[in-house]
Amino acid sequence: MRNNYQILNIALRQLTSRKRQTLLTISGIGVGVMVLISAVSLMDGLLSSFIDKIVNIAPHVVVSGERMYSLVSDTLFEAEKGTAVNLIKNVERQDEEMIKNFKRVETLIKSDPQVSVTSPVVNVTVIAKFGTISQPLEIFGIDPDRQDEIVKFSSNMISGRFSELEKTPDGLMLGTTAAKDFGLRLGDKLQFVSNLGKTFQVKVVGIYSTGINDIDNNAYVNLRVAQNIAGYRPDEVSQIYLRVNDLKQDYAVARTIEKETNYKSKTWEEISSSVIALYKMISMMVYFLVFFVILVAGFGVANVLITNVLEKYRDIAILKSIGYKKKEITVIYILQGTLVALIGAAIGCLLGYVLIIIMSSIQITPSESNTSMRSDRLQMGKSPWYFVLASLFALVVSLVASIGPARGAARVNPVEILRGER
Amino acid sequence: MPEAIIRFEHVSRTLISKSNGVEVDTTILPDLSFEIERGEFTAITGPSGSGKTTMLYLMGGLDKPTTGKVFLEDLEISSMNEDELSEVRNAKLGFVYQFHFLLPEFSSLENVMMPMVARGRYSAQQARKKATELLSDVGLSDKLNSRPNQLSGGQQQRVAIARALANDPLVLLTDEPTGNLDSKNSAMVFDLFKELNEKHKQTIVVVTHDEAFASKTQRIIHILDGKVHSDTRM
Repeated sequence: MRNNYQILNIALRQLTSRKRQTLLTISGIGVGVMVLISAVSLMDGLLSSFIDKIVNIAPHVVVSGERMYSLVSDTLFEAEKGTAVNLIKNVERQDEEMIKNFKRVETLIKSDPQVSVTSPVVNVTVIAKFGTISQPLEIFGIDPDRQDEIVKFSSNMISGRFSELEKTPDGLMLGTTAAKDFGLRLGDKLQFVSNLGKTFQVKVVGIYSTGINDIDNNAYVNLRVAQNIAGYRPDEVSQIYLRVNDLKQDYAVARTIEKETNYKSKTWEEISSSVIALYKMISMMVYFLVFFVILVAGFGVANVLITNVLEKYRDIAILKSIGYKKKEITVIYILQGTLVALIGAAIGCLLGYVLIIIMSSIQITPSESNTSMRSDRLQMGKSPWYFVLASLFALVVSLVASIGPARGAARVNPVEILRGER
Repeated sequence: MPEAIIRFEHVSRTLISKSNGVEVDTTILPDLSFEIERGEFTAITGPSGSGKTTMLYLMGGLDKPTTGKVFLEDLEISSMNEDELSEVRNAKLGFVYQFHFLLPEFSSLENVMMPMVARGRYSAQQARKKATELLSDVGLSDKLNSRPNQLSGGQQQRVAIARALANDPLVLLTDEPTGNLDSKNSAMVFDLFKELNEKHKQTIVVVTHDEAFASKTQRIIHILDGKVHSDTRM
């Protein structure tokens, strides 16, 4: 017969004999685990809701007018040695970054079965004038129907109708943030002054809100209007947006396009890399801080065990003198640390779960649209792994914290205690 | 031919302590040989610092001799490692100290059961039964579930004696068992030892200052400066 039960019993009795201290330590572990779980959930939720939104309402790949490599010299041709050549035209550098003959480029891109939608875009910065306000504004010329398949304006309109843009040649559709900047409402007329000094009048036919600032800052006109403003020919655009069927393939698609068309292509990860990196950095900082919360809780565990061991020198001595072995004494105190961590982690998981529910019901901005895309609540990540990892972490910290005191207990020399030397 | 239960063969014990970086050797027992026989009720007396408590710890395997050998029956306990000694202490020895050293979180019954279940010698049920008997033998059948702090000093010491007897030890080793008790309780403890010795032939070694207590035992070994000064059998 083994004495495992007896060892557990001794560990438990000693813990419960110091109820207040034990409860405080359990609370420390519990709070640490709770904070860790909710912090991980918050950071994970922020990043994944950000990515979700991008993936849902932003182009997966953007083909830009920038060339992958400069144009090959066209002065290289075959001729006999000594032949005289009359050079009419030198190599032209094309500073303007635009996609020429975009319909052919689109056809080329669409030949990839992964590509589901393409949408040509002209972007140009103008000075927008409305009332007394006059400030620069980046506008996008689009083919409304095709762009809608990428950014999904039609389900995010808060005033006006999306179809109006196509019907109104001088129509302007803008995001809620941009509209607020100018104080614009449906039906308002404003003027755009182009780089070339020409003035164009446009009319607000719709206002949308996606919840993503980058998109809600934008203003859209018909493709032809933007081409006029930018001074592009009808077959020239600045970018082509596209969506792919399988998101994991976006990188391969972008590289294929670059190879086949010589136009630089970027995936959404590449475009948003600095934002994603920022999210990850903030996450790291948060985890770092939370790490210390648990570490402090670990000190609590060490404290409880050290006091238990110091106060129990006599008991340890007597246990040794009635036949308990060194290893068994160690186990008693390791068990105490483990028990505190287990109970604390269980409580922390429960509290963490409740906190996640509470946090995900907090309103962060007043609702401006009742569409499904817009979220005005904190997106909390949900995964059982948060609980498993936080508990494991607390357990490891507590185990490490209990090793020292437990070994100290095993080293107690009964003779010193029994003689009353300590 | 009386049978030796404890035998010291040229045992010495030297403590090495450091003071101001200089190692100082303190010889507590220079060279000690003696035997304790089965069924004897022996008192070891002597002034403080004479080495009598060290002798007891050497008998109990709690301390090791610097040179020489200590035998418990035919087991040479002076050469055993800590875990082997734990087994021997549990199976063959019972200790009673000046202070009761009961575990405060456990009842009298649980404290007495502790040595029985420590090495898994008894099941919890058997241990409970035996511990109840032992506690009623020492007159505490009404205090089975009391915690040590609910008992008087004399009662605590009697629980400690019951615990020492838990595994039917070969020898009961006791260190100033009455040092903390009044005369009435001291007498009660002595009577208990006497009864154990006479009825159950329990071998008992008592280290004590208490001359009155010692004078009532069968054999008094008087220690002076780590040497047997006198060894008197009544």
